[in-house]
Amino acid sequence: MDNLEIKTLILFTLLLSGCVTSHPQTAEEFRKAVPGAFMAKVETFEVNRPFRDVARTFQKKAPECLNLRIKTTERSSTSYHVVVTAYKPTVRVSAQRAELHVQQHHEAGVMNVTKEPEGGYYLLVTDAYPLDKNRTRIDMFAPSMGHDVLISAIKGWATGKNVGCPDLTKH
Amino acid sequence: MRAKTSAYRGAALLLAVGLLAACSGIKTYPNTLEKNLNIRADTRSNEFLGKVKADVDIYRVDANCKGEYLGTVKLDESAVAVGIPPDRPSYLVFNFASSAFFSGSSSSINYATLLKPRAGYRYDIKVSYTDNIYDVAIREMHPRKGGGREIERRELGNCKIL
Repeated sequence: MDNLEIKTLILFTLLLSGCVTSHPQTAEEFRKAVPGAFMAKVETFEVNRPFRDVARTFQKKAPECLNLRIKTTERSSTSYHVVVTAYKPTVRVSAQRAELHVQQHHEAGVMNVTKEPEGGYYLLVTDAYPLDKNRTRIDMFAPSMGHDVLISAIKGWATGKNVGCPDLTKH
Repeated sequence: MRAKTSAYRGAALLLAVGLLAACSGIKTYPNTLEKNLNIRADTRSNEFLGKVKADVDIYRVDANCKGEYLGTVKLDESAVAVGIPPDRPSYLVFNFASSAFFSGSSSSINYATLLKPRAGYRYDIKVSYTDNIYDVAIREMHPRKGGGREIERRELGNCKIL
């Protein structure tokens, strides 16, 4: 093993150990962790839609579209890998905020190295806040790479322009 | 001699296709009842030379909310008229199968719902898959008044309260 390989290995180990010491155990911990996390982002935008309608769309679409299990198979000439992922959506609505949490639990194909919250690791949290009669603010705490389809679908639910379901077999 | 070889090849191909179709468990829905569903599909892949195919599996639902597979109808942009029994629940499973030419990858996802059509009513169903987002919108149309109402998605286990 040459010097460069050793440095690369050490860097990778340090990055990995930094990443996997713990994962957020609640939606609130997830909100706090995302701004400083590697490969995660907070996105804020406003929609011209009443808060009540946004909350109602989250309540209707999240269980309809995100309560499912996805099996992914990757084949190459030398390997065969199957991952089974169960998604769990949770929607909480109060007069001040509508929350949509998405958790994922790998039932097969992925080894967990940190404590997993009940229902799975937090993948995304979206909060909607009423601004005025017809406008709502959206805060999205989400991965900055991958899961574009999920993010795009939730934006569609917030704006009301596309209320379809994300194809979670795509990333 | 060449014609004979070609005929053998054709027969072998037909046999292979027939065997594959029989083994896959997919059968064409008989579609003999009075047509009460009008289904139109709009599917687009966002991958270069990718394809998305849509079809619907139709199940009869018994009193215990168990489904019995009756067959599959392929869907495309031209409207497809389908007849399912009125005043009793059927279970419709809309499948979206996508494939990418270059990566060779393929995947499928489905959207399932119960539907209990009322006698004399028509149901317009818009099925879409665009930019990896899919939707199935079912609208019940009154036979004379026009207009209509959106039909909510129902799970198979809810067949008794339909």
